[in-house]
Amino acid sequence: MAKITFMPDNITVEAAAGTSLLAAARMAGLALESPCDGIGTCGKCKARVTAGRETLTLTDDRHKLSAAEAADGFVLACQAAAGGDVTVETVSGTERNKTLKILSEGRSFSYDIVNYITKTFAGGRTTVLAGGAPIGAEDGDTAAFNYGLAVDIGTTTLVCALIDALTGEELATVSALNPQSLRAQDVLTRIKFASTPAGLQEMHSSISRQFRDMVSELCGKTGVERRFIYEAVYSGNTTMITLAAGVDPASLGKYPYTPRLRGGNHISAPEHGLDISPFGLIYLPPVVSAYVGPDITSGILAVRLHEKKGTTLFIDIGTNGEMAIAKSGSLSATSTAAGPAFEGMNITHGMRADAGAIEYFAVREDGETELRTIGGVKPVGICGSGLFDIVGELARVGVIGASGRFAPPRPGSGPDGLPAALAGRVTVREGKPAFLVADGVYLTQSDVRQVQLAKGAVRAGVEALLRSENVGYADVTAVQIAGSFGYHLQAKSLVNLALLPPEFADRIEFVGNTSKSGARAFLLNVPCRGEMEALVQNITCLELADQEGFDRLFVKSMSFT
Amino acid sequence: MTVLKEELYQKMSAAIVEMEEDLVAELSRQAVREGIDAFEAIDQGLTPGMERAGQLFEEEEYFVPELLMCADAMNAGIDILKPHIKADEAKVKRKAVIGVIEGDTHDIGKNLVKLMLETGGFDVIDVGRDIPAAEFVERAKSEGAELICVSTLMTTTMDAMAYVISILKEQGIRDRFKVIVGGGPISPGFAAKIGADGYSRNAAEAVRLAHKLFEGKDL
Repeated sequence: MAKITFMPDNITVEAAAGTSLLAAARMAGLALESPCDGIGTCGKCKARVTAGRETLTLTDDRHKLSAAEAADGFVLACQAAAGGDVTVETVSGTERNKTLKILSEGRSFSYDIVNYITKTFAGGRTTVLAGGAPIGAEDGDTAAFNYGLAVDIGTTTLVCALIDALTGEELATVSALNPQSLRAQDVLTRIKFASTPAGLQEMHSSISRQFRDMVSELCGKTGVERRFIYEAVYSGNTTMITLAAGVDPASLGKYPYTPRLRGGNHISAPEHGLDISPFGLIYLPPVVSAYVGPDITSGILAVRLHEKKGTTLFIDIGTNGEMAIAKSGSLSATSTAAGPAFEGMNITHGMRADAGAIEYFAVREDGETELRTIGGVKPVGICGSGLFDIVGELARVGVIGASGRFAPPRPGSGPDGLPAALAGRVTVREGKPAFLVADGVYLTQSDVRQVQLAKGAVRAGVEALLRSENVGYADVTAVQIAGSFGYHLQAKSLVNLALLPPEFADRIEFVGNTSKSGARAFLLNVPCRGEMEALVQNITCLELADQEGFDRLFVKSMSFT
Repeated sequence: MTVLKEELYQKMSAAIVEMEEDLVAELSRQAVREGIDAFEAIDQGLTPGMERAGQLFEEEEYFVPELLMCADAMNAGIDILKPHIKADEAKVKRKAVIGVIEGDTHDIGKNLVKLMLETGGFDVIDVGRDIPAAEFVERAKSEGAELICVSTLMTTTMDAMAYVISILKEQGIRDRFKVIVGGGPISPGFAAKIGADGYSRNAAEAVRLAHKLFEGKDL
C-alpha cells in the first residue's frame, strides 16, 4: 500500500501500489481535471510531486510536460503510478471554473405563444394537459402558474433559463460548467466513457445533479415553485442530448455514426432526474445526424435559416465545427473535427474563458501590442477568442508567414521589416520560435500548428459546403456565426486567419447562443416543433471523409492566405 | 563526371526541400539523359531531400502542407527514374500494412504516414479505413509484411487497436511483426499498454521509428 497525500487540500488516501495519482485523487474525492480521462494526451492533470518522487513509476511524461516542468517536479497524474508514500501538489482548475464566462443570449425571431402545456380549471381542480391530453391534476386553481425551461447543454457549459410559459418572459437564467467535462472533456472521450452502463450512469447522474442545483437556483431567484415547471427543452449536440436522455451513445462513436436517438419526442422529467413537476416532460428537438445535433436545429430555427433569401452560411465554431448552408430554402449541413484547440486545449498557455484569460489582442500600427483579459486581471493564459486574435494579428503583420511558420529572426534582433516593439517579442522557447504575448504567456510554433489544424478543418468544411451547393464566395449573402465561443470573436480575426475568405469580411454577423434561443422558441411555440421535425428530413448531410479530394482541400485550408 | 553527379544529387535534394516539383522532375530527366544510375539517383538524390523535409517537419519549420508538397516533388522524380532502374538493382523493399482501425473513417493522418513510409523506402499496402483488427493481421500475413501500422483519430475506436496484437499473440506469430500505432488520441503510454512496438506523434517520426525497429535486421 502507498500513502498519497494531496496538497493544498491535505487529504491522504491509501492505495495499492501501482495506482495512478489520478485514480488516487479521484479516491480522495478531488476533482483533478482530466479531460482525456487518463490516457496521457491532454496534459491537464499535471501535478507537482514534492516528496517521494523516487517511488513513482512514470510511463509517459515528456509527451505533455516541458523540460522545465519535469525538472520542477511535475508529472502527469494519470501517468504516474504510486510505489510508496508521496506528496502531491495539485493545480486543478475546478476553483477557477466558478468564474467561467458563459454566453446565454442568442438571436431570435418573433413568434406567438402557443404552449404545449395547457391548464384547465374545473370542479375545484386544475387539469394539466400536454398537447391536449391530460397528464396530471392539481388541487385548486393553479392555471396562472405555467413555467418551462430552455436548456442548452454544451459540451463544456450549461445554460438554463426559466421561462413563464404564459407570457414568454425569461424570468432568470443560470449557467454552469458541464460536470461531465471534468471526467471527459471532448465529445468522443465522453462517448467512450459512457459506452459502459456504469459510465453512462455516471454521466447521466452528474448532469442531473447539476440541473437539480440549477433549477433550485432559478426557483430561489424568482420565487417560482418547481412543481409548476412542466416542460423543459434540451438543446445541445447529439452526444450531449443522447447522454442527458440516458441513452447508450456508443453508436455515435463508430462508423457509420448512427444516432440512436432522433429527437422530436418527449421523455419523462422525473425519470431523468430533472426535479420539476412530477409529471414534467422534456422535449428533445430533432437530430440531423450524429454530428449535426439539436443545437444546430435550434440554431436554424432561431435565425430562420430555411426562410433566408439568397445563400446564408451558418457556422457554430467549436470543437466540432458544425455548419449549415441555406440556398433559397434548400439546406445542407456538415461537421468538421476541428479538435479542442479553440478551447485552449493542446495550446501551451491555453485555458478556458476564465479570469486572467487573454480574450482580445491586437497589434497597433507602431508595433506595440494591446490586450484584454477576462476580469481585467493579470494575464495567465489564452482562451479561444484570444488565440484567434493573436494568431490572426501575427499572420496579418507577418510575424507568422502564410505557411504558419514564424518569420526567422535575424541573429541578435527580430525578423526583418517588423517594428522594433514587435520584433522584440519574437523569441525562442525550448529551442523553437515563440511569441511573447504577455509576461509569462507565450504563443509557440506548435500552438500555431494546432490552430492551423483546427481552422483548416472549419475552412475545409465551408469549402465543401459551398462546393456541394455550387456557390462561390460572392454568392454568399450572409455568414452567421453561432455559439457562445463565436460570440467573443472578431470578424477580422476570422479573416486574418483565413478561416473564412476575405470576401466574407463585410457580411459576418455573430448570432450568439442560438442553441438556447432556439430552445426557447421550441418551448413557447409548438408549431415550431412540427416545422423543424419535417425540415430535418430534408437537410442534406455531407460526410466530409467521403468527399473526393478532401485530404487536399483540408491541407490547402491550413494556409493563412 | 563524379563531381557533376554529386552536384546533381545535391540539387535534387535541395529542390525537394524547396518543394520545387517541376525542378525535381527536370533534374531527374537530366540524370536519365546523362546515363546516371537511376537507383543511385533516388537513393542519393531524392531520399536525402525527403529525409531533410521530415527533419524540418519535426523541427516544426515545415507543416503538413509543406511535407505533402515535398513528397509530391519526390514522387515526380521517382516517376521519372523508376522505369530506368536496372532489374538486378531493384531492391526488395520491406513491406508494411497500414490502415485505420474499425469504426473510424478519418484517414488523412494514415495517408500522410503512408506517404512518408513510401518515401522512406517501404513498400506500403494500404488496407483502407474502418478495418477490423483481424483484417490487418490477415493482410500482413498474405502480403508477407513485417510492419503493421494502425491509426485512429477517434478516442472511441482506439481500444480496438489492441485486438491486432492479441490476435497476433493468439496465432503465435507476434514476433513475426512489428506493430506501430498513432493518431490523435494515442499516447506512448497507450501504445505501451496494448503491447505495441512503438508510437509516433507524426508522419515524419513514424518513418524514423520504422527504420529503428528494423535496424540491423536483414530482409
